[in-house]
Amino acid sequence: MKLLLLPVLLPVVFALAALVTPAAWRRAREALSILAVAINLACAIALFKADAVFQMPWLGFGMEFKLRIYQFSGFILLAAAFFAACVCVYSLSFMREKPAHKQFYSYLLITLGLTSGAVLADNLILMLFFWEGLLLTLFGMIAIGNKSAFKTATKAFIIVGISDLCLMAGIGLTGYLAGTLNISQISLPITKLGGIAFILLMIGAIAKAGAMPFHSWIPDAANDAPLPFMAFLPASLEKLLGIYFLARISLDMFKLNPASSLSMLLMVIGCVTILLAVMMALIQKDYKRLLSYHAISQVGYMILGIGTCVPAGIIGGLFHMINHALYKSCLFLTGGSVEKQAGTTNLEKLGGLGLKMPVTFICFIIAAASISGVPPFNGFFSKELVYDGALERGVIFYLAALVGSFLTAASFLKLGHAAFLGKISSENNNVKESSWPMLAPMVTIAGVCVLFGLYNRLPLETLIQPVLGAEKLGGHVFYGMPSNVMLIVMTIVVLIAALINHVIGVKIGGSGLKAVDHIHYSPVLIGVYDRAEKRMFDPYDIGLKLAVAGSQALWRVDRAIDWVYDGLIVKVAHFSSLRLRQFQSGYYAVYVFWAILASVAAVIFLLKQ
Amino acid sequence: MLSLFVSIPFLSLIVFNIPGKHSTRLALFWSAFLFIAQSALALLFSTGIINPVARQLSRIFIFKLSLDPLSLLLLLSIGVAAFAALLAGNNLFREKSQKSNFINLLMVAVIGMNATVLAADLFSVYIFMEIVAVSSFVLISIQKDRLALEGAFKYMVMSSIATCLMLVSIALIILVCGDTDFGVVASGLCAQSGNPIVKLAIGLFLCGLFIKSGLVPFHGWLPDAYSAAPSAVSVLLAGIITKVTGVYVLMRLVISVFGINPAIQNLLMLAGAVSIAFGALAALTQHDFKRMLAYSSISQVGYIILGLGCATPLAIAGAAFHFFNHTIFKTLLFINAAAVEKQAGSIHMDNLGGLSEKMPVTGATSVIALLSTAGIPPLAGFWSKLIIIMALWSAGNFAYAYIAVIFSVVTLAYFLSMQRRVFFGKLALSLESVKEAGAGITIPAALLAGITVAAGVGFFWVLDKLILPIQEILR
Repeated sequence: MKLLLLPVLLPVVFALAALVTPAAWRRAREALSILAVAINLACAIALFKADAVFQMPWLGFGMEFKLRIYQFSGFILLAAAFFAACVCVYSLSFMREKPAHKQFYSYLLITLGLTSGAVLADNLILMLFFWEGLLLTLFGMIAIGNKSAFKTATKAFIIVGISDLCLMAGIGLTGYLAGTLNISQISLPITKLGGIAFILLMIGAIAKAGAMPFHSWIPDAANDAPLPFMAFLPASLEKLLGIYFLARISLDMFKLNPASSLSMLLMVIGCVTILLAVMMALIQKDYKRLLSYHAISQVGYMILGIGTCVPAGIIGGLFHMINHALYKSCLFLTGGSVEKQAGTTNLEKLGGLGLKMPVTFICFIIAAASISGVPPFNGFFSKELVYDGALERGVIFYLAALVGSFLTAASFLKLGHAAFLGKISSENNNVKESSWPMLAPMVTIAGVCVLFGLYNRLPLETLIQPVLGAEKLGGHVFYGMPSNVMLIVMTIVVLIAALINHVIGVKIGGSGLKAVDHIHYSPVLIGVYDRAEKRMFDPYDIGLKLAVAGSQALWRVDRAIDWVYDGLIVKVAHFSSLRLRQFQSGYYAVYVFWAILASVAAVIFLLKQ
Repeated sequence: MLSLFVSIPFLSLIVFNIPGKHSTRLALFWSAFLFIAQSALALLFSTGIINPVARQLSRIFIFKLSLDPLSLLLLLSIGVAAFAALLAGNNLFREKSQKSNFINLLMVAVIGMNATVLAADLFSVYIFMEIVAVSSFVLISIQKDRLALEGAFKYMVMSSIATCLMLVSIALIILVCGDTDFGVVASGLCAQSGNPIVKLAIGLFLCGLFIKSGLVPFHGWLPDAYSAAPSAVSVLLAGIITKVTGVYVLMRLVISVFGINPAIQNLLMLAGAVSIAFGALAALTQHDFKRMLAYSSISQVGYIILGLGCATPLAIAGAAFHFFNHTIFKTLLFINAAAVEKQAGSIHMDNLGGLSEKMPVTGATSVIALLSTAGIPPLAGFWSKLIIIMALWSAGNFAYAYIAVIFSVVTLAYFLSMQRRVFFGKLALSLESVKEAGAGITIPAALLAGITVAAGVGFFWVLDKLILPIQEILR
């Protein structure tokens, strides 16, 4: 089925066309991009129900060019096409006066094509090819941001590159164990080597999704990269891709079961990511940076859900993946709207924008309610499913997820209060609502959030449940209201607690921005927070320090080797050379004596044999 | 037909010296033509072993010639080196009489070398070696200055010791075998290999040849002779004369006459390795350009002898290839030294520096020659050393292989230091007015450098056509 090539090749071709347009042809470039994402979206819709394979010879040695569409990849393909279209429309207005206009659209389209390729690829090497290509556009899209963006891009490149190396090793090991590189033919037990292969592949997957400890470039990118990038990659496409691959490896390629310690590992990574990232999100004083920490934190729910290895958890994790992509990209888009209109995303300079930008505010409320798990929005239902799965595996995981939920709600109350409510500053008096190309994607996505919440049967029945298959579901249905009333009560209690906390915080602190200061400056946490803000816990910075220490040690070894070559050997050679010169004393009789002596010795030697 | 290699130069020599008025220029051109023709013939000759019927020159002395791939390679080397030395000598000697003497003596040396290479008779070999030696004594002292006379004297003393040893050995061999023909002697020695007289004879002959080749510790005469001789003569002496009279005869006799046995192999490899190490280390701290080249020559001869001592077909081929390469690059280096001595007036390396700026051809060809000597790919010296080391390794002589590799690095070290002190770096103030040497120097230098590069890049062709057939003579 050759149509499968279209979502891969078409955006790349359009991207290359956009790249060669003269700098001044801005409208032509925008038209090209819109056309590309529109055709891509139409194509994804057309392919959605398809079940087909496209195959052609490639590198040989089991490395085939094989694309496969089936229910799961069709779903991810459609989602990616949808977000690409939204971000592209949004960028029409947002990127208008920005520099690197040309690069932005080209990279965006190439990213889309590569993502489609990685989703459709049914061969691990082919997938790796697309996956690594994404590393380049990731670097490019961050690097075209502000002045310090290049450093951040390098950081992202190194972090993602290291995890990709793990992925590469994992693919090699998996191919070796399975005897094939075709994903749909791989079915491995989790043995010793198989476990290592799984962990390596998992590192690649969760690093792409942005889980800890591969997260630290995301908050920096929020500051430095162009905003649509944040809504496009860390918020949506990377989550889709990372969690898609995690689901593929834990459901199809390896049969992960609840008894496995790897399941425990995934759940622990999930909980740690939820808690640590949300703690950091809580104290942020920048709209985009705060969101970026949530983009990390929410991955924890997905990993936790898939890690539980029980149907409710997996369904919840996957549902959370698409929900997160929706509300988080919507939130980033509102952030961009605020940045564009008010000129800043620093919460200390914002406030009272709600009346000036009502549509943005409403979209923000919907998305924030979704992420906080307020019923009846979509985030509520997916989180309930994850809770259900976590509770089945252990109360501790459930509690961790619940605390994360509390802090999420608290931080969004703070964010909303600080940005949209409160007193408006004098500079922002003239702020107006954004133009329609920016509002339309936000409203569309917010609408889908509401739809997926109120009518959650639609996504669950058509998109999520088929992934697991009827057999594993065992007749359960996961749509509608959660069956466990206790969970709902607990969630509502937590949300009310967050609200009370906010009210108290505002009373103590005096403004929405300072609503969580009583947590921030509480006795033990203040020390931890201080160090975290100084990047003392950033694995990248720690790694850099280790690298510097390592290279210094190597430098000393190098000096030692140099000394051997430049000092010792030269001295020995010089010394022996001078000693040898003493043989050449100038007394000819001595030479003759040596020659005769040696002749006698040689003759005796031959006679003795 | 083979005797033409000897008789034509001999006739030329006679014609040059017919009393009366004649031009040096004509002699020069004719000699140059002869040497080129010899090289070309050697290249064009069909390989294979030619053993014509012995020709009786007199009742007592049978002059028997034979040709095999090894002699062919030698004829080529002699032709090239003699041609280069001829041009250099013509450029370097000022007086007409000296020029004429040089050409005549060179012709004598070439006659001797060609005959040594072609002779298939122990006593003839000895006679022709002596002819070469006598011509080189005169060549060294041609300018009659004190140092040259001293060098010639030292060479003569050591050479006469070698002569004594070889003559005694030949006498013993005649005693045992009754003849001096290679074939007869070889079978005779083989039949009586346990006989102490045979062992003594072989030992004495080998020692005589060690002296002629300048292996350590028989090398005492060599640095003085090379550095005291006029530059053009050092070119000839280092490049080809001592290599033919010492190294080639050693190879020929060990392979075709004495036969290869473990005792000789051990002796040769030991002498080779000691020479490699001593020569390279001693070269490190020399201040005189030509003296450094002399020690380098000892070291490189060590490689040839080491390959010979290993005695597998591959090792012999490698040794022969290194022989050829050594002729080319050592001749080239001595020509460069001659150019420096002539133009800058000194060969003391501390007084030189930056000459590459003023003498680009000399500087550049020197780089090629030294890299080839040190065994840097893709130059010819790399392949020959590689073959020798590979042969040593596959024969299980690991220690010798390591020595060969390590001192290859030392070779690079002393040559790079030479290049820096003479050609690179800052130009010394006193050398501001130095110019490039004339065409008589630069043409042979460029030619030899070209051969080094071509033989390196086209090594497979050289190997196939010239070197690998040499393995046949082992059978």
